[in-house]
Amino acid sequence: MIGLSHYLIVSAVLFSIGLIGVLRRRNLLMLFFATEVMLNAVNIAFAAISHFYGDLTGQMFAFFVIAIAASEVAVGLGILIVLYKKHGSLDLDNLASMRG
Amino acid sequence: MDNILSVLVFLPALAGLLGFVVNKESARAYGITVAAIEFLLSLWLWVSFDTNNAGMQFVELIPLIPDFGVSYYLGVDGISLFLVVMTTLMTLIGIASMSITENVKNMVVTLLFLEMTMVGVFVALDAIVFYLFWELSLVPMLYIVGAWGGPLRVYAAIKFFLYTFMGSLVMLVGMLFVAYIYHNVTGVWSFAITDWYALVLPIDYQLWLFAAFFLGFAIKVPMFPFHTWLPYAHGQAPTIGSVILAAVLLKMGTYGFVRFSLPMFPDASVMMITPIAVLSIIMVIYTAMVAYAQKDMKQVIAYSSVSHMGIIMIGMFAMNAEGISGSVFQMLSHGIVSGALFMLVGVIYDRRHTKLMSEFGGLAAIMPKYALIFGIMLMASVGLPLTIGFVGEFLVLVGFYEVSPVMTILAGTSIIVGAVYMLSVYKKSFFGPVTKEENKTLKDLTPKELWSFIPLVAIVVWLGVYPKPVLQPIDNSVKAMLAFMDEKAITQEAKDIIKVPHVSAHAREVK
Amino acid sequence: MEKLVYIALFAPLVSSLFAALFGMMPKKQFVGVVTSILLGISFVASAILAHYVYTTEEAIKVTLMDWIGAGDLHIPFGFVVDQVSVTMMTVVTLVSTVVHVYSNGYMDHDKSFNRFFSYLSAFVFSMMVLVMSDNFAGLFIGWEGVGVCSWLLIGFWYHKPDVSREENPSISPSWAANEAFIMNRIADLGMLVGLFIVYWNTGSLQYDEVFAQLPHLSGSVLNAAALALFIGAMGKSAQFPLHTWLTDAMEGPTPVSALIHAATMVTAGVFLVIRANPLFSMTPEISYFIAVLGTFVAFFAASMALVNRDLKRIIAFSTLSQLGYMFAAAGLGAYWIALFHLAAHAFFKALLFLGAGNVMHAMDDELDIFKMGGLKKVMKWTYLYMGLASLALAGIPPFAGFFSKDAIIETAFNEGTYILWAILVVTAGMTAFYSFRQVFLTFEGDERYKKYGFHPHEVYRYVLIAMSPLAILAVIAGFFKGSFEAFVTELLPEYHMSEHTHHLAWLLGLVVLAFAVGGIVLAYKKYAKGLKRDEALEATWYYKLLANQYYIPNLYEEFISKPYAMISDIFWNRVDMKIVDATVDGIAKFLYGTGDGARRMQTGNLSNYLNWMAVGAVLLLAVAAISAAIIG
Repeated sequence: MIGLSHYLIVSAVLFSIGLIGVLRRRNLLMLFFATEVMLNAVNIAFAAISHFYGDLTGQMFAFFVIAIAASEVAVGLGILIVLYKKHGSLDLDNLASMRG
Repeated sequence: MDNILSVLVFLPALAGLLGFVVNKESARAYGITVAAIEFLLSLWLWVSFDTNNAGMQFVELIPLIPDFGVSYYLGVDGISLFLVVMTTLMTLIGIASMSITENVKNMVVTLLFLEMTMVGVFVALDAIVFYLFWELSLVPMLYIVGAWGGPLRVYAAIKFFLYTFMGSLVMLVGMLFVAYIYHNVTGVWSFAITDWYALVLPIDYQLWLFAAFFLGFAIKVPMFPFHTWLPYAHGQAPTIGSVILAAVLLKMGTYGFVRFSLPMFPDASVMMITPIAVLSIIMVIYTAMVAYAQKDMKQVIAYSSVSHMGIIMIGMFAMNAEGISGSVFQMLSHGIVSGALFMLVGVIYDRRHTKLMSEFGGLAAIMPKYALIFGIMLMASVGLPLTIGFVGEFLVLVGFYEVSPVMTILAGTSIIVGAVYMLSVYKKSFFGPVTKEENKTLKDLTPKELWSFIPLVAIVVWLGVYPKPVLQPIDNSVKAMLAFMDEKAITQEAKDIIKVPHVSAHAREVK
Repeated sequence: MEKLVYIALFAPLVSSLFAALFGMMPKKQFVGVVTSILLGISFVASAILAHYVYTTEEAIKVTLMDWIGAGDLHIPFGFVVDQVSVTMMTVVTLVSTVVHVYSNGYMDHDKSFNRFFSYLSAFVFSMMVLVMSDNFAGLFIGWEGVGVCSWLLIGFWYHKPDVSREENPSISPSWAANEAFIMNRIADLGMLVGLFIVYWNTGSLQYDEVFAQLPHLSGSVLNAAALALFIGAMGKSAQFPLHTWLTDAMEGPTPVSALIHAATMVTAGVFLVIRANPLFSMTPEISYFIAVLGTFVAFFAASMALVNRDLKRIIAFSTLSQLGYMFAAAGLGAYWIALFHLAAHAFFKALLFLGAGNVMHAMDDELDIFKMGGLKKVMKWTYLYMGLASLALAGIPPFAGFFSKDAIIETAFNEGTYILWAILVVTAGMTAFYSFRQVFLTFEGDERYKKYGFHPHEVYRYVLIAMSPLAILAVIAGFFKGSFEAFVTELLPEYHMSEHTHHLAWLLGLVVLAFAVGGIVLAYKKYAKGLKRDEALEATWYYKLLANQYYIPNLYEEFISKPYAMISDIFWNRVDMKIVDATVDGIAKFLYGTGDGARRMQTGNLSNYLNWMAVGAVLLLAVAAISAAIIG
């Protein structure tokens, strides 16, 4: 029987993969993907817990997150294109103009 | 004129705003006019002040944030009245005698804003309003030191700002806590100081709150060991900045003690007499010696300010009417005298562009009027009877003698050490042969300079010979405050030490 | 009568303000004339008041207005003219008037002629406030007022540079002025403390109220008050150890030395003790201490005068010595005798100083008596005046000093303090010796001044005439001893010699006289024929000790002035800058340093930021988990 904990484990694993991606990747596009993975990990958790409690709020929130992620990708990709045009690369190590 | 206090507070600020459109050439005349009107208004306030009424007068109360008990609440009593008058007077004389040539317009506007904040501090009866003006007063001063100051001006300005600001923040926490307790006790929010007076606090609360307020006020005074910002600020500030700083801004600290610490925390104040007296004595003797070691004339006056503030502090904690009235009177006296001394240093600085005493010598022969006025102010500073300086100092020492004879004798050495450094300044600068060629052609005081000193000299002598018009209202309010503190005190020790004056048979006879 | 009181008091003030109007202008002869006339008016008013008090035997009390009122303290400007104050008023205004007239001649060529008269009259006003006030606070006004005027007048020739102590023991006028002011301030602190003790124990500073309260006070309070007030008196009257300023004060113009540092201001301390006699008579220990100190100073100062070569300093030491006599009398309870000696001393000592002024004037401000000699030929009148004054000072009958000083010495015998008596008798001999050593070296013998190229001449005739009242009083003042006693003992306690002393009075007088005459004869033998320097004597350690004032000024310099300056410097450079301020800056630097260190996190690399964010999130989670575990 697949229970709540299985879903949560999947969610945690996905989240960790996303986190490692965020920490290790240097390419901005890859970072975006990693963030998406993390968001979706949370979505899984939301949906699973929602089902577990029989409360639709969680699933509703998952939709909300998907919507936010979509708009974020739309804006973010726009910025990435501009950045790529300007610097010819999306490598974070080359984008350190805010150095303190 | 029911709203005289509001007028007094906001007239300079509004006039300052208008000042931006005045053209550059007439900025100075404009400033003098506004300051003169303000001064006349404050004189009117004094004239219509009921000297027999010890309580708050000309009260204005408009709720600002009723839910939190913050209101626009102003009023004056005998203690604050003369500080207001002194503020307007010193601002007027400061602007009139100003010798700055760069950005005169900005300076005039800044000074008018500064005047608003200073008057505001002295008339505010709501803690939030008080705090607002208290902090706002830092800004114009920061600007004056930072924009017109000497080579180290930025360091001095930032030191002044951050140091005093840090103290004030702790005080703000204290204020919020008092309001919180007030809410707990009465169920309503109030930041009105007069409401807070009614609050009887347990000893441990009093001590903590006393400490919080102490930090805010003591840095402003400045008490030893929080005094080191002052010599820098004075050293770098232009003359006008030093005049206002010494004459008025420092008094905000001591005024805070009278307005908040004493009446709100009588038991804690009594418990703190000894530590504060010790700090004050250190201020008196130690800074007087440091002043003696200075080579720069202005630094001598700056350190002498600290030394004299020690006398004011010790008088305030005498817990009797003689000491506290003397202390409040000494605030006025120190304001006038140190303001004048800084102006005098400014006069010679304008001519020689140096303040080092080794550069002078024999000035008495070349600038006799200057030497005369310096001499009068010097004598007032060392507390010669029949000058303004004696009255306050004498009362302070009389008052504190009842608390502790030994500490009074130590504090009383101020009349010796004060004479030592002041006379040594005078000897080095004014006596002896004229050795420097540049000094031989110095001009004596110009009419403009002379006329800015004459009112101060007149006040120094007048209030030294006949201090009653000022001393009596102060004394009335102080007596009322003492009676009230005594009633409110919860420990027997405090009740014993706080001395409620009685009208003796002799006093009635004299009246 | 009230008007007269105010005229006597305020005429000098008007005079001072009048002269001040012209203070920065070149010499105006009328300033000198007008001020002298105003002082004369003050003297006449005082004399009429004295007559009034003498005939009616009642004191005049006036209150001008309130001064300070705070708490329970109320101080009015009140003045009282009674037997004691009117004596002082008359003496002060008389000597002042003479000195004012004299100064017209003496300061004739001085640039700051007008300024001088302004200060001089201001001094007289302060002195009048001091003696006339009916309360201790008013006395203190005058007390400090005379101090400032003394400061102004000692430093009158402020333009002179500082020189080494070997060249001029006073260093410079401005140095001497500051020394005088600061030393007086030290004593004034004692005086202030005295006022505080009086106020908190009697609730008032008015003389009559305070004295009425005295019997209710405990002995320790009385002792403390008396001691504190006497410390004040020690400063103003230059008693040991606060005596060094008086000889240095001779840097001032000579009329100033005559008026302030001989006749009036320095006697203020004695006046205070006399004024507060109800207090001092209740504190026998303190009074005895005063008498002992007075006797010591009388001897101590006379010993330094023996070898000094400076015309004015010799007289200054003799003033010091005579002040010691006055304190001895006051300390032994003979207040009226102290007051009598005070008045008589004022006359002959002022005369002596003014005579010295004439000599200085003639000798182009030369003060070394070794460079004078034989001046009697050119300065007959001055010789006469100084001779008279010295005879009075030496206590030769029938001059004033004989009556007053003899009475003091007799008092010491009468009180059974034979040691004091013996010292005072010996001192009387020394007084006679140094006075006539000075007179003979100046006026008799070989004309040494010719060698140094001086051309002495007698002073203006009107100056000599102006000095005559003092000369007459120096001669005749003693004859009024009986009526003076009757007059002042209306107020002061009477003092009678015991039967025993009375019988021996003539013998005691003879002993004193023998010492005095002996002193004069010795001086005559040694110096009247001219100066014969005794190199061997001058090389001895005790001669050097005396000539250097027992090295006390050097001691003060080494152990007080220099360490004070050094400690001040340490406080500033080491403590204030290196500790107090450095701590403040240290805190600021720490915060700044932390910020500076943390700045490294701001690499500008998004990846690094994300790593930090992850670390932060983990830390927060950990905190949340741990706190949940603890609380849960």
